[in-house]
Amino acid sequence: MNKRPVSHPILMFLILIAHSAMLLLVILTLGFSAEAVKLTCAVLAADFVGSMILSLVHRQACTVDMVLLLVLGMSTIYQSCFGGVHFAAKHYIFGILAFIACQLSYLLVRNPIRAEKMKPFWYGAFFVLVGAIFFLTGERGIWIDLGFITIQPSEFVKPVFVLICASSISTQLRKKTFLGIHYVPDNLAMLGCTAVIVVLQWWCRDLGSLPTFLAVAGFGIVFRFFYLREKMSLRFVIFLCACACVVCVVALKFAPDYVQDRLHSDIWADMEGHGYQQCHALTAIAEGGWFGKGAGGGLLHRVFASDTDIVFSSICEEWGLFSGILTVVLVLFLPASVLTVPPRSYYHAGLAAGVASVFVVQMALNIFGSCNIIPFTGVTIPFISQGGSSMLSSGILAGFLKAAQAPVLTTKDGRKKAAERGKQSA
Amino acid sequence: MKQQQNKPKTMPIDIRAPRSTLRAGRAVTLLILCFLLGMGYLSYVLITESPMYMAKSGKTTYGVVYDRTGDVLFDGTKPLTDYPSGQFADVGNFIGDTSGQMTNTLVAKNLTALANYSFTAGIHGTASLQTTLSHSANQAAYKALGSKNGTIIACNWKTGELLVCVSKPCVDIAKGYADIASMPNGSLLCKAFYPMVPGSTQKVSTLIAAYETLGVKTVNDIEYSCEGSWLNANGQRIKCHRSEGHGHQTLAEAFANSCNPFFAQLVQSEQLPLTSIIEVYQRMGYSVNKSAAENYSLDGISIAPASTVLTDDTDFDTQWGCLGQGETLVSPYQLMLWQTAVANGTGTAILPYAVEACTSAEGKMVQVGKTTRTPQLFSVSAAKAVQEVMIANAENHYYVSLPDYNCGVKSGTAQVTDNGREYENSLLVGFCLDETCPVAFCILIEERTSKDISTAQVAKALLNALSAAE
Repeated sequence: MNKRPVSHPILMFLILIAHSAMLLLVILTLGFSAEAVKLTCAVLAADFVGSMILSLVHRQACTVDMVLLLVLGMSTIYQSCFGGVHFAAKHYIFGILAFIACQLSYLLVRNPIRAEKMKPFWYGAFFVLVGAIFFLTGERGIWIDLGFITIQPSEFVKPVFVLICASSISTQLRKKTFLGIHYVPDNLAMLGCTAVIVVLQWWCRDLGSLPTFLAVAGFGIVFRFFYLREKMSLRFVIFLCACACVVCVVALKFAPDYVQDRLHSDIWADMEGHGYQQCHALTAIAEGGWFGKGAGGGLLHRVFASDTDIVFSSICEEWGLFSGILTVVLVLFLPASVLTVPPRSYYHAGLAAGVASVFVVQMALNIFGSCNIIPFTGVTIPFISQGGSSMLSSGILAGFLKAAQAPVLTTKDGRKKAAERGKQSA
Repeated sequence: MKQQQNKPKTMPIDIRAPRSTLRAGRAVTLLILCFLLGMGYLSYVLITESPMYMAKSGKTTYGVVYDRTGDVLFDGTKPLTDYPSGQFADVGNFIGDTSGQMTNTLVAKNLTALANYSFTAGIHGTASLQTTLSHSANQAAYKALGSKNGTIIACNWKTGELLVCVSKPCVDIAKGYADIASMPNGSLLCKAFYPMVPGSTQKVSTLIAAYETLGVKTVNDIEYSCEGSWLNANGQRIKCHRSEGHGHQTLAEAFANSCNPFFAQLVQSEQLPLTSIIEVYQRMGYSVNKSAAENYSLDGISIAPASTVLTDDTDFDTQWGCLGQGETLVSPYQLMLWQTAVANGTGTAILPYAVEACTSAEGKMVQVGKTTRTPQLFSVSAAKAVQEVMIANAENHYYVSLPDYNCGVKSGTAQVTDNGREYENSLLVGFCLDETCPVAFCILIEERTSKDISTAQVAKALLNALSAAE
């Protein structure tokens, strides 16, 4: 635990310095323009207002909030500079909404007992979203087009699924017996939801997100196994790893043709076809080198999905591989927050692990896929890629991490006891 | 006691993290570590492969390829037409260019090393490849072929340095590909790396198989008679190129005479089982009856492996295959490779290399070329025995053509059928043991007639040029 937590003003100062340095670089590179002024004012205002609100709500700064402010500001600067400075207003607004979503989801799940009691609601939300995907997305798609905005409901399934996969010890003790077999109803429900997601992803032809869901489910299963055990058997861990390997091998063997093509195709032999995006993405990183071509100097923005699926390459092209890696590490600080302040309830431990798996697996799929290390999929980097649904969903997930860091714990009679101490230590 | 009574009755909540929840931290740590390891690997791949990305996407210029004396063999920094006419005409289909017209060339296979790009420094500087080739010797060898097509490949059998590699007809890369449709067949590929009928040069391999199986003394004592042709056990006739025959001959005489009936009788003899021949051939790198073959490459240039079909030692096709006809195909590169193992008398070949050093766009020079040996292809005794036979052949039959060199050679005539057209190719494989010119070589002249220049004359021109270059 943090015995000497860092105060709001110091962290705020550091964030302002980081963003100011980036903005200064943009202005020095691209010149002083109306768009640059808009971008500068917007980012600095968000930093200032955001940290003011947080300092009013919390006595001590929370890692998740501060990292979120830092990453969202950086992300807005990146997105506003691809191919020249143009304030990415949409991305900025969704960044603010993601920050608000983070605070709201924190309020919702900060009390693990209450959050666990709301499980029927999570199951309901899950099936509403699944129903929306089945019936409202058109021909086996993943988007709902409302005319003025398009929504990707599968993104919102992620936080709901994380909530479903997290479980408390009391839930695990509620066992039932059927035909002499003991079972935990919640575990069966979780496995059922996992199966629904597998079918859903196959139906939507969106297998790219499946590893993310399976990682969350995997963590959920592992945690449920070990809730009541003091020690993890090494033999059992090896068994689980072997199971995961078998699942991977079987999944790859029986993957659809288009996935098999991506596994075995040489992108450089098909530079104008299947390898178009990846070849351009890799070339852009090569052109950027360590320190990039300069903000706005990139050409990758001409390639489809340059600000979503291959956003890592876009950043590397203009800001350099060093900045790209630094950004990724900063995003990793979010799931890593559970290392500074360990969760104090089983439920929040499950939540934190679930969110970490979503963030890390999505980043791995996006970055390694766009760089041709693994098959290319259309998933986003949390908070960095353009996309409202992804941004809001990531914000909600970040709120879960904050809840694990600064929970409100209650006694059986409902009295709050440990919240303040938790906040202080966060 | 009074103080104790004032304490609240409810039990305090233990706000320490339960031990089991610490596992969340461990699990997240593991996950993040795996991801960071992946990022480390990705960074390594990006940094090391970025010149390839730039090269493949055509976003970089290319540097210069030099011969061993600094003469330019390819220049990506300026138009090749700036150089004297014919500068690149002799090695165009071996060195290649960046046009993409030829894919199995030195430049095409080393585009990454030749790219004027580095991840750290960006696009600047001039990369270069320093080759082991002697441009003057290549030009002399190319000129020696005269009007005939063919290929000449030669390397230093001590070090593996490739000295000469010409293939005619050859594209002049300075002139471009505007008239590609009217270019003679084979202009865009270096024939030294592709399989062709080896003719009687195959008898070197068969002789090695005999020495390996029966021992040197036994083989040297073998004598057969040649009456101009010979009927094998299946009643099929093997003809000798000398219709009146060579009479009673020893192995050395038969080798020098390139007598087909002698070697056909050797293959059919019970002393030399076919399985032994196949085993030795496979060890030498042949694909026999579609077995896996040794795949060689020269600085990325792929070499088609030698192959043959041997099924029955009493059958004409099998005997014919062991004499270098029928289904037997070998590249001049591989014929030369075996000569390095004979010349050094160890039975292990020296793998040729053409790129001595690479200089990156940042100016850093990296030594690339080094002497590498193959595994034992055949025994030392077999290597020395074959060397003696080949030297004797040169001394007895090539003393007029190659008087100034201590050589060992074996000639061959390959009967080729190409699209219904039949013609003969002339080959010569061998080595020179002189300290000033330690060279193993293979010379192929296509469609050679008795009026044309001989392979021995080309060999002399080659050795003269290489000696002068030294």
